[in-house]
Amino acid sequence: MSSDHENAPEADTEYQHAEDDGPQPEKHCGHGRGGMGEEVSRKEDKRFITGRGNYVDDIKKPDMLHCEIVRSPHAHARVKDIDGSRAEAMDDVVAVLTAEDLLEHDLATMPTLMDDTQDVLVNEKVKFQSQEVAAVIATDRYTAKDGAEKVEVDYEVLDPVVDAQDALDAEAPLIRDELDDQEDNHIFDWETGDKDATEAVFDAADVTIEEDMNYQRLHPAPIETCGAVADWDPGMDKMTVHMTSQAPHAHRTLFSQVSGIPEHKVRIVSPDVGGGFGNKVPIYPGYVVAAAASFVLEQPVKWVEERSENIQSTGFARDYDMTGELAATEDGVIEGVKVDVLANHGAYNAAAQPTKFPAGFFNIFTGSYDIEAAYGSLTAAFTNTAPGGVAYRCSFRVTEAVYLIERLVNVLADELDVDPAEIRRRNFIPSDAFPYESATGWNYDSGDYEKALDKALEMADYEHYREEQQRRIENDADKLLGIGISSFTEIVGAGPGEQCDIAGIEMFDSADIRVNPTGNAVLRIGVQTQGQGHETTFAQIVAEELGMDVDNISVEHGDTDTEPYGLGTYGSRSTPVAGAATAVAARKVRDKAKSIAANELEAAEEDIEWDRESGEFHVAGAPDRSITITEIAAGAYMNHPGGEEPGLEATNYYDPPEMTYPFGSYIVVVEVDRETGEVDFEKFVAVDDCGNRINPMIIEGQIHGGLAQGIATAMLEEVTYDDNGNVTGGDFMNYLLPTANEIPNFDTGHTVTPSPHHPIGAKGVGESPTVGSPPAIVNAVVDAMNHAGVSHVEMPMTPDVVWAALDDAGLAHKPAQNVEFEFDGASGSADD
Amino acid sequence: MKFDGEFELDDVPPEQAWVVLSDPIAVRDALKGCQFITPMDDDFEWDSYEPDEDVETLPEADADVVADRAFVAGQEYAALMQIGVGSVKPKFETTVTIEERDDENFEMTATGSGSASGSSFSMESGMRIHEREDADGSRIEWWTEADISGRIAQLGGRVINPVANKIVNNFFTAIESEMSDVEETDSGVTDRIRGMF
Repeated sequence: MSSDHENAPEADTEYQHAEDDGPQPEKHCGHGRGGMGEEVSRKEDKRFITGRGNYVDDIKKPDMLHCEIVRSPHAHARVKDIDGSRAEAMDDVVAVLTAEDLLEHDLATMPTLMDDTQDVLVNEKVKFQSQEVAAVIATDRYTAKDGAEKVEVDYEVLDPVVDAQDALDAEAPLIRDELDDQEDNHIFDWETGDKDATEAVFDAADVTIEEDMNYQRLHPAPIETCGAVADWDPGMDKMTVHMTSQAPHAHRTLFSQVSGIPEHKVRIVSPDVGGGFGNKVPIYPGYVVAAAASFVLEQPVKWVEERSENIQSTGFARDYDMTGELAATEDGVIEGVKVDVLANHGAYNAAAQPTKFPAGFFNIFTGSYDIEAAYGSLTAAFTNTAPGGVAYRCSFRVTEAVYLIERLVNVLADELDVDPAEIRRRNFIPSDAFPYESATGWNYDSGDYEKALDKALEMADYEHYREEQQRRIENDADKLLGIGISSFTEIVGAGPGEQCDIAGIEMFDSADIRVNPTGNAVLRIGVQTQGQGHETTFAQIVAEELGMDVDNISVEHGDTDTEPYGLGTYGSRSTPVAGAATAVAARKVRDKAKSIAANELEAAEEDIEWDRESGEFHVAGAPDRSITITEIAAGAYMNHPGGEEPGLEATNYYDPPEMTYPFGSYIVVVEVDRETGEVDFEKFVAVDDCGNRINPMIIEGQIHGGLAQGIATAMLEEVTYDDNGNVTGGDFMNYLLPTANEIPNFDTGHTVTPSPHHPIGAKGVGESPTVGSPPAIVNAVVDAMNHAGVSHVEMPMTPDVVWAALDDAGLAHKPAQNVEFEFDGASGSADD
Repeated sequence: MKFDGEFELDDVPPEQAWVVLSDPIAVRDALKGCQFITPMDDDFEWDSYEPDEDVETLPEADADVVADRAFVAGQEYAALMQIGVGSVKPKFETTVTIEERDDENFEMTATGSGSASGSSFSMESGMRIHEREDADGSRIEWWTEADISGRIAQLGGRVINPVANKIVNNFFTAIESEMSDVEETDSGVTDRIRGMF
């Protein structure tokens, strides 16, 4: 490698394309060494299924203290006084911390990922229910909790506003009165596309349709809540924080900036993490409080959230109120799309997305379709609700965009009485049009949308269900049939450094491979797994590119002291970015291996070839004169060529040239009960195309999990508030996660359209099902009723919501007999 | 949230109901989950206060003692009340102020607020005792307007309303049984009660 800095990135790009045709897992699967395409069992599962995982709450340190946060029962209130004396008087309570204590250490506030400033502990005013007001540190968790009960906070309760539209009313209470220039609850306006061109298309169009739809507030609700063990070592002047982080390095930089501790004296370790789904991308006050307490008390401090604290105070997702419009010819060729969004961002602007994208990648809303003109506008508002706007199992705001366009296309199909499969076919970006630039400026890498749709239609036995649907309508059957399609395109793998940064740090990612003298290797990556299977998938990439057995590769991640800098795992960026870095680093190792092979085989380096199938290096034209990577590893340390460095390792920091665009077609068949409004899944087909597939079994698992979350979105989940700002959907009694009962069997399939710019042709898959399935499900439920004029049903489609839609359309069947319920008679009456 | 209702007591004259409902000890004993109701001054400490147990109420109690401890308009009272709402069983440290007492019309209003386990509430309540028109006895009209925040409010009306109704129902049932005791044991009590005003 040249040491000339300017040449260095240039030199790395030569590894982006393999010297051969690159991996082709569909044709040559894994080569028997666990390379790409093989269903290698997950290396991490042994410890997970035998109870040997090591999560934050498993970490115990000598003299460790416990932290409990005192939270506000009010959504909007001025804090007049905090009296911690009763807690401090308790045995085993070590300290009570308030904003005043944090101010002394300049830790009273912290920056959000969108450059807002959030109180770590409330300084003057509570802005959402369950906001952090004080913290109690005690020698055990129970005492800390009892102590928190004893902290007396005197509040002056203020009127809250929880709805974004209400918040923008001139009479609404001002939430952010601490900000000098803030005179209302408006945060920002954003627009995309060409307004004039779009208006012109709409004016001239044969047909236009419009639909209002709400993407309700969701919470990622990872099974492991957030937590940290902070350990300030006054001897080393070093802060070590074990925490539930999806982005340990970025968090290290932010921690250093917030605390003033130099970055090389901060170590973030993200051990096993029990699900993230975007929830563990932001920094939360609890982490900062634990670190501050450890710094002050010079003892390790553990903070672990309860379930309701997680749902009520940490980053939510979605909460977009959208109006979408399409303009089309009478043949159903879409010419224009318009969208207007009102975004509820909560009490702080704390969305988690690349800095230059205040609405994330929402402008992917042209979807899988070749649309001439597009325009979108969005207004974001503060409300007295928890801050958020995280990318819950999706790339930033792609879920909302996909829902919008896939619903609108169905509304257009209804309007024109064209089959929803057919209308998609008429509008798909043709497979020979890639790379394709969308009307909002995205550069789609590759796609074959019709192929995926055709496969899904065949798997779903589409025509059969259409006939059955008609038969039931004619027979006035008790259960209507609905068929829903979604042919979605995602945009993932953020992202090119020129476009994408988080708090100023470009969104590259990294890999570092060290091959040991005995022929095995350690791969360290800048991304971090929360259960996705990185320890297996990334090892398979190295196995593929180095001809090594997958069992001989271990993958390390999540420790900033040892891993190369990376931006973390979210937005389906691990495989597109760090996966690319891994492939490139492996190819760099392979390149050096050639010089060692030449030395060992006594041949010229330019005559050494590598054979992907055998995984061996040999002299050109003499395949028998070959050497394995194991032998080369020994040579690198025991007989290294003169004039070269010993050892066999390489690092790559990969700046992706483009995003990747996974896609798929999902078809859902539902039965809608006209008496109860209940929805049953008859058939659920998911055809995904994520480019080249690394581990089909892991992909299948990802699809299953994501579909479950998509069903939860469409049918069950919503974080709700009452008018006083009380979270009425803030625990698992009211925020309904799906169980096995709600999840049907899935029929999964795939097509393969490799990404042309990615070193191994992969695109990322973990989020496709969460993104793609909600519109398919809603389309199916609406489809069951649209013969009676129903054009939309809002999520979550609980039985009462569906029954109301049935009733409005005159489709409801009343129960045969009136059933009267008698409640235990109390003499009083109660009204809300 | 607004709650209101009526409760009828057979054979208990309004003045007798008024005395029992004016006795903090009788009210405590009738209110399930209530550990104490006691006058509160500036030095009151929640953590160290220990209520007297087994305090006599009417009819055993001395009428003068009961009259002395009766609710006083303008006085602040500390009440510790444990309520089970769903899975949550917080102990509310509640401060109640008797706003008005009308000994002639048997009407009493109070304001209060309390907090526990991430929940807090404030309320304005009142009651008035009427003579029953159809039979001997009293008709007690009660009302409360409460602002509830935090964990309990999150459970929503469908959980809170039945709990509130149950508390009130149990309370009046217990009061009714206390009053019947008064009646059965010593008919002279009524006269003594009359003498208390």
